[in-house]
Amino acid sequence: MQSMTLYVEKNSLIHKIDPISKLLFVVISIAISYIVPTISVVLGSVVISILLLIIGKVFRHILPIIGVSLILILSIIIVQGLFHPESKTPLFTLGGIVFYKEGISYALLLTLRVINMLCAFGVLILTTKPDELIETLIKKGMSPKLGYIFLSVLQIVPQMRATMGKITDAQRSRGMETQGNVWIRMKALFPLIGPVVLNSLNDTRERAIALEIRGFNAKGVKTFYNPSRNYPYRIAIKFGLILVLILAIVWRVWK
Amino acid sequence: MNIIRVEGLKYKYPHTDKLALDDLTFDIKKGEFIGIVGKNTAGKSTLCYALTGLVPHFFKGAYGGQVYVDDLEILKSDISDISLKAGLVFENPFSQMTGSKYTVAEEIAFGLENMGVDREEMITRINESLLLLDIEHIKDKNPFSLSGGQMQRLAIASVIAMRPDVLILDEPTSQLDPQGTEEVFKVVEKLTKEGITIIMAEHKIEKIAQYSDRVMLLHNGRLIDFDTPQKVFSREDILDFGVSPPIFTKICRVLNIRDANTDLYPVTLEQVPKKELTLSKETISKRR
Repeated sequence: MQSMTLYVEKNSLIHKIDPISKLLFVVISIAISYIVPTISVVLGSVVISILLLIIGKVFRHILPIIGVSLILILSIIIVQGLFHPESKTPLFTLGGIVFYKEGISYALLLTLRVINMLCAFGVLILTTKPDELIETLIKKGMSPKLGYIFLSVLQIVPQMRATMGKITDAQRSRGMETQGNVWIRMKALFPLIGPVVLNSLNDTRERAIALEIRGFNAKGVKTFYNPSRNYPYRIAIKFGLILVLILAIVWRVWK
Repeated sequence: MNIIRVEGLKYKYPHTDKLALDDLTFDIKKGEFIGIVGKNTAGKSTLCYALTGLVPHFFKGAYGGQVYVDDLEILKSDISDISLKAGLVFENPFSQMTGSKYTVAEEIAFGLENMGVDREEMITRINESLLLLDIEHIKDKNPFSLSGGQMQRLAIASVIAMRPDVLILDEPTSQLDPQGTEEVFKVVEKLTKEGITIIMAEHKIEKIAQYSDRVMLLHNGRLIDFDTPQKVFSREDILDFGVSPPIFTKICRVLNIRDANTDLYPVTLEQVPKKELTLSKETISKRR
């Protein structure tokens, strides 16, 4: 069964940590990269995230995600290296184009921030089941309707993709060209998108009915089938993370 | 004892001129199996929605008359309260899955969680439903990885776990293969033995004739007949309402084989008099 989740099932210490603590780690990790805008601190944050990914046995799963962001990173280096407003000191020349030290230095900081963000989110999404995360958030007061939207999208979008595949096969069996150059694919898009959208609208209406008759809008306190888990070091991790954040803020104010 | 009471029910969908339900009045007794038949647009699905409160609470429009499920008046009650009295299963098993749950057990728990049922009670009800629907072996599977028949049984289990007095099924087998259809009917038969009132709108007339205590014939939103399958399917004008009688009824009509007690045409093989069956066998062997 296809699902959009990036979660990787492993037996590791990171997998056993409270989802809220991991979410807090993401927030604080990103916040610190802005509160303390030095390359060494942001690099330190990246290293910590990578260590957590290695402990969580999911490090190789973050590499394709970072790979996707390489175009963004490359564009940051080119734009900042060439056009940073405080550029004074030439660093190197490439085919007659001068890259400046100040721009490259700032580009490095931005790049590290992007990688830091990806790795920190990786710690959360690669080691936490989406339903476990959302259910924990709902127990903490998040709207169950919002939680439903997040969770259902993860499964329903792949189902829509499967429906699209069936409709494509059906149209192809009637002689429609669906493969080839961009123009052929564009021409095929409209006869495909209509049935997919109509089908999805109908499914959505029926799903809304199914949810209604199963008390989705019921007033009163919701209960949970999955038992509340006892996560190890929950309080210590939260306390440690908040302490790091406070120290970063103090450093920023003092400086 | 009546579990459902409908008095002068009229309903018109928004932006339409025609009544989808036109002055329906009937009662249904607790534990009955009711089959609803009629051609497309006869009002079968709309009636199912009206008995579960989706009409008028979900589908707006012009509504008149009164519908009671047990002691609950539909018009004055919330859908969530009605769902504890009457559950609905419809044709597409896929779209009845919430999409937010990752196992069959969690899917069944969805309604119970919303209704605030205690966890211990929830586990008991889930296990009961799994057992009743014969799907214990797929308890930990992802709902979207199931076959159509299994998915439809899961949809029924999810409704049954809420312990409604009435289970309403709107063409539950129309998207299933013969095996899936058989699975669903076997389950429904089991549920009737548990004392649950079943109301099923269905085009598979043979099955309706076999299982129903009474059959409701609808046409253009009007109640044409509401009687035993034999009486309804023996009507001379049944084809005028877009309903084809069961194959046994058709054969018996041609051969003029009638039930000696009621003088009506049989609707199932079991109702065909034994002497007629013997005669038919003889006829077949003669032809060979």
